[in-house]
Amino acid sequence: MIGILQAKFKSFIRNPWTFVTFTGMSLIFALIFGGAGVDKAFIPVYSSDETIKDSYIGKQLVKQDAFQFSWMSEEQLLEKIEKGNAENGVILHEDDFEIIVGVDSFNTELVNEMISSVYQDKAERERIVELANQNNKDSDFILAKLDTALENPIFDVQTATFRGEGAFVYDNSLHRVFGFSLFFVIYTIAYNVLPILVEKKEGIWDRMILSPLKKWEMYIANLLYSFFMGYVQVLVIFLTFRYIIGVNFHGAFFETLLLLIPYVFAIVSLAILITALVKKVQQFNAVLPIVSVSMAMIGGAYWPIEIVESEALLALSKINPLTYGMEILTGSAVYGYSLPELLVPISILILMGVVLMGLGIHLMERRHI
Amino acid sequence: MIELVNLSKRFKQMYAVKNLNMFIEKGEIIGLLGPNGAGKSTAISMLSSLIEPTSGDVLYQNKSILKNPSAFRKIVGMVPQDIALYEDLTAEENLMFFGRIYQLSGKELSRKVDEVLEQIGLRDRKKDIVKKFSGGMKRRLNIGVAMLHDPELLIMDEPTVGIDPQSRSYILETVKRFNEERQMTVLYTSHYMEEVEFLCDRIYIMDKGNLIAAGTKDEIKQILSSENTISITVERLNDAFIEALEQHPMTNRVTIGEKEVTILVPRETKAFSEIIKLAESTKLDLVSVDNKTPTLEDVFLHLTGRALRD
Repeated sequence: MIGILQAKFKSFIRNPWTFVTFTGMSLIFALIFGGAGVDKAFIPVYSSDETIKDSYIGKQLVKQDAFQFSWMSEEQLLEKIEKGNAENGVILHEDDFEIIVGVDSFNTELVNEMISSVYQDKAERERIVELANQNNKDSDFILAKLDTALENPIFDVQTATFRGEGAFVYDNSLHRVFGFSLFFVIYTIAYNVLPILVEKKEGIWDRMILSPLKKWEMYIANLLYSFFMGYVQVLVIFLTFRYIIGVNFHGAFFETLLLLIPYVFAIVSLAILITALVKKVQQFNAVLPIVSVSMAMIGGAYWPIEIVESEALLALSKINPLTYGMEILTGSAVYGYSLPELLVPISILILMGVVLMGLGIHLMERRHI
Repeated sequence: MIELVNLSKRFKQMYAVKNLNMFIEKGEIIGLLGPNGAGKSTAISMLSSLIEPTSGDVLYQNKSILKNPSAFRKIVGMVPQDIALYEDLTAEENLMFFGRIYQLSGKELSRKVDEVLEQIGLRDRKKDIVKKFSGGMKRRLNIGVAMLHDPELLIMDEPTVGIDPQSRSYILETVKRFNEERQMTVLYTSHYMEEVEFLCDRIYIMDKGNLIAAGTKDEIKQILSSENTISITVERLNDAFIEALEQHPMTNRVTIGEKEVTILVPRETKAFSEIIKLAESTKLDLVSVDNKTPTLEDVFLHLTGRALRD
């Protein structure tokens, strides 16, 4: 068994391109569609008064977490809205502001609330300065005291949200990282299981069967290798996004790495079943994209499964390993579920893995593939 | 040493091999001949315990191998029809890998690998990746892998398919040398008559799953003792000449090539003068008329009415 693994790794070192290609594709797609970890809504800003950009208001806008305010000319701002590159734009004046609405979305109200609050703060500070001046006090000192107090509040308020079953939280960056990783890893795993078919056809397996090697050792070695390659691919992608691009896993990075295991196992098993059902490599190449893309579409890799309304598609998603893979990863990283809360999808994936692998190996042996 | 008793294999409703009886004595080179689809590969897969027969038995030293094949497998070296090698590994790495699965290790493994590389003439290329090898070199390595554990029985399934004549000749010489130097028993399947004629002591001929002839080369050629094989070469064949040949009472069988016609005629027939007459009457330009020594190819033609590579 060790010999088979050694041979596989040597072959991989000489020909790593399948692994590299699908890892690269996952990274590129997740970067493009996930916005390179930037999940702030883009808001173009213009002001006819050039001093506003460097004033208190301008500085506060830059500090906002939820939106990315970008200064530009009025023409450019209007063009962004007209072309749909931004949902809303903002024109700032000294004491008030206008919101140009391109798409009347939830963000419009948020932008309005956020900028209103900045203007209110500005008005408060001006009032403090005015009163300080009236009372011959040092206004800068008072403002500095205020800023320090705001940064170190007396009460540390922690907030928690009560969430019903239907509640839906969406983190675009994480969703893309998880979705594309789970999608592309199907290819890496499948193309590492495929050599079983090729080796059987070419007679390498016959040679091994005639040797003292046990058949279960041959299967285990191949499956371990496929599992390892699939797991390492997702590991590389997650590490890249977590530590290089800076995507926030909400403190559940290591949990997600552990929770990947049942999904990768289920996909190895699925790949065995596909390999057992086809007769030729060409058939495998034709079937795999159909299966993987369908799985990604109804399993929530491309878009959140929560937005799917079709009963038929939702029913199909229940027999799709990718659905449960996404459920586990988003459950852990986005919703902060604990292990007991994720036991159902984990168990389903393990069950799927066992059933598909049993079926696949049985078919392979029965059909003398 | 080994005996196949009424061995049959049925896939759905079709018999790939039907009631095959064979025996192989130690130190022999046995040829298993037949066209594509004759059932040769199925027969050797059953013989080597890779697939179970539908009925019949395989005996090794008078014991069935079907229930407990492991003892028999130890003495078998298998050379599959395809190149059963890891193409991304070097020749040496391939031999090391297959040696390890045969539980060779350490110095013994290295010595064995070197010995095999020497025997198959790939010592200078041992560090090269198999993917870059020529077809002939791959075939030689394919054989070398089967030799690592010093098998008593070497089963070779068409080991020279798709290679140049020089490599084929090298392989045939190597097989002959293995047989002579190590007393290795060889079962050699092929649809190349000349290979079997060169190598084998005894021959089994299969067609459509059935054994149609068996014996030594001379015994099999005796099948044609009542007939002569005449090869007629022409400038340009015409339908009238072929029709006349087919209808002539002397002709037992006619096989038509591009510029050559082969006929089987009874031994006592004065065929030359008849052929010349037919050529004149059908306005055909003859190039040559030869009375050929019967070959195994002719035997196959006689038995099945088809050329071996049809």
